[in-house]
Amino acid sequence: MTAVLLWALAQDPDLEAVLEFERRVRACAEKVRPAFVFYGQGSGVVISPDGWVLTNYHVAGNRRGQRVRLAGGRPFTADAVGWDVHGDISLCRLREAKDLPFCELGDSDALRVGQAVLAVGNPFMLGNRNWEPSICLGVISARHRYMDNPGYFDAIQTDAPINPGNSGGPLVTLDGKIAGINGRIDVRRFASRVNTGIGYAVPANQIRRYLEAFKAGGRVREGCIVGLTVGEAGDPRLEGSGAYGDGVLVAAVTEGTPAARAGFEPGDLIVEVEGLRTPNLNRFHGAVGNWPQGETVRVRVRRGGGEQELRVLLGDPAWIRERQMNLLPADLGFLPAGEDDADGVRVRSVAGEGPAEKAGMKAGDLIRAAGGTALRGWEDLREILSRLRPGEELRLVVSREGKELDLVLRAAPR
Amino acid sequence: MTALLLAALLGTRGDDPSEALGRVLARLRERAARSVVAVEVERSDDPEGGGFQGQVSAHRDYYNRPRGPVSGVIYGPDGHILTSFFNVSGRIRPGGLRVFLPDGTSRPARLLGSDERRDLALLKIEARDLPTLPKAAPGEAAPGAFVALVGRSPDPRVPTINLGIVSAVERMGGTALQTDVETNYGNAGGALVTLKGRLAGVACHVHPESPWGQSGGVGFACKVAEIDRVLERLKRGERIEAEKVPFLGILPGGGDPDAPGLQVGLVVPGSPAEKAGLREGDVLVGIDGAEVADFEDFRGALLSKKVGQEVVLRVRRPRDRARKEYEELRLRAVLEGRPGE
Repeated sequence: MTAVLLWALAQDPDLEAVLEFERRVRACAEKVRPAFVFYGQGSGVVISPDGWVLTNYHVAGNRRGQRVRLAGGRPFTADAVGWDVHGDISLCRLREAKDLPFCELGDSDALRVGQAVLAVGNPFMLGNRNWEPSICLGVISARHRYMDNPGYFDAIQTDAPINPGNSGGPLVTLDGKIAGINGRIDVRRFASRVNTGIGYAVPANQIRRYLEAFKAGGRVREGCIVGLTVGEAGDPRLEGSGAYGDGVLVAAVTEGTPAARAGFEPGDLIVEVEGLRTPNLNRFHGAVGNWPQGETVRVRVRRGGGEQELRVLLGDPAWIRERQMNLLPADLGFLPAGEDDADGVRVRSVAGEGPAEKAGMKAGDLIRAAGGTALRGWEDLREILSRLRPGEELRLVVSREGKELDLVLRAAPR
Repeated sequence: MTALLLAALLGTRGDDPSEALGRVLARLRERAARSVVAVEVERSDDPEGGGFQGQVSAHRDYYNRPRGPVSGVIYGPDGHILTSFFNVSGRIRPGGLRVFLPDGTSRPARLLGSDERRDLALLKIEARDLPTLPKAAPGEAAPGAFVALVGRSPDPRVPTINLGIVSAVERMGGTALQTDVETNYGNAGGALVTLKGRLAGVACHVHPESPWGQSGGVGFACKVAEIDRVLERLKRGERIEAEKVPFLGILPGGGDPDAPGLQVGLVVPGSPAEKAGLREGDVLVGIDGAEVADFEDFRGALLSKKVGQEVVLRVRRPRDRARKEYEELRLRAVLEGRPGE
């Protein structure tokens, strides 16, 4: 007994506790380093064995055919597939990739201030000779940091040293999961660009909500509610708006916009977007920007003593349609207008010498039926068009100046 | 006896666990500081009066240097002291080097040898039986391992400690560890130790031209294995200069992303590339045995060579660009040092 106690006393329990922490950091480093990508002047991280890579838009942009390297030096060619210019994320794909080491996206809403994190990156491009990434330890300093221009609306702040070259690299929790993508720092003098203990990462949960849109390809824009004029509760210019922190006050709703269609009314107090509380304008924009345009989100409002849940389409419908048209498999040569006609789809413009023009379509036409199916709006037409392959034909019924016309649209052969 | 031991054991364990790190660091600082010294450096080109009056630009070298004493590590019981070369570079006044030992005494030092590439300098003082630190085993300072930097600046009587992790293990051509411990003019030259108090390296590579600045979360330490590799040479008084970086003399051009190789955008007049017959528009695909697919390959291949060495450049020269027809060439180039170095 005495011997056992003597042995126990000889151990240093303080040191053991710290060594246990060290073991976790080392294990995490071992896990995440192989999934690191040297991406041009910046960093990136593999998120799937078949080569999907996350980085910053300001690192990868929308470029195709970039030579990148996995930690250790294995070269790949990367193509940017989807990107968010304001939110500063590009999703890229490595060509001919399989069975790659990767990091999973974690749950950034579950992060705690003070929690230990590692920033993996290539600061000052120090690893460009032997392709060894760098890891730095820090903590979560704050969550939900709001920055306009560009829109880091819901950033994680960390004191894990982030320096030039770290951009696009992952901020990981000690279980090896991605908390966010590091992208910005605050420095006293921009010219020096050396970390001062203030770095920002785009949160994993926001990225996850954009992933599907990124994979579909092209530019993805951050969500906004078109048609709302909002103010902050407690703003002295808004009489009787309550106290600061209560929520975001709807001052006006523009007719014919997604906000009006969703049923917002002046005087509504917005308190939650998809379960995220919106105590002020920054958090409101941050929460809405957590989803890409084209998504429909649930918004809780206080109205007349009660609460209501509204569902609203994020973004400008015209832009969303344009994007969806661009992503259709076949080239059709026309763009739908933004307005939502209950009895068809209005044509905004027809491209010169394209398939739609050859079929006789004109701007202003209302497409009422396609392939024998009557249309109740854009979603119906999109469904039909998405099945159309290059070279195939589609019969359309359009109304023009009170007359009904039959058109045969032949999708351009590839 | 048993009861006494139990009580002692509970006494340590019963405390607030959040204090554990603080206690570990306090003990580590105390232990490591026995082998960490302060070095006072007086330079002969210190401007008189020390005032700024328009002299900063004339004495840039002076003003860009650490003020006050810097840190050093005892690396031999017989008075060998290691510090960062930058700490003791420049013109030093005769008798201008002084080492302050942990016991509060000080004595004159002389500069034995230095290594620019490793940013190391070896000093010697008259002393015996000085305490040295045990060395970290290979692999002990792995990525993610906790390390602390112990220095003695600005007050030689008060050791400092900063905590961080090993960020990378093969930096500066494999001679240095990278760490996120806040490293600055004061603690550079100090001892980077593991949690168990073993010496992993000597903090270095903090100087006015370093892009990572000071305390930016990117610091370096020359590894103990690398110190031991050159220690005897330093003791013999060698001044090891930084090796010249080999230079070929091309700038990359646009190139075709689907065709491997580095397209030559510009050939520097009078450079080894020009002498070898390389032309703008050529596509460099290999240097000796190494494949070159992009600029990084090129840089890596070049840096593995030495100044004065002859290399074979494997080049594809466009015969008909539109038809993608190329002529395969092998050109011989003798690498030179970068101009102006």
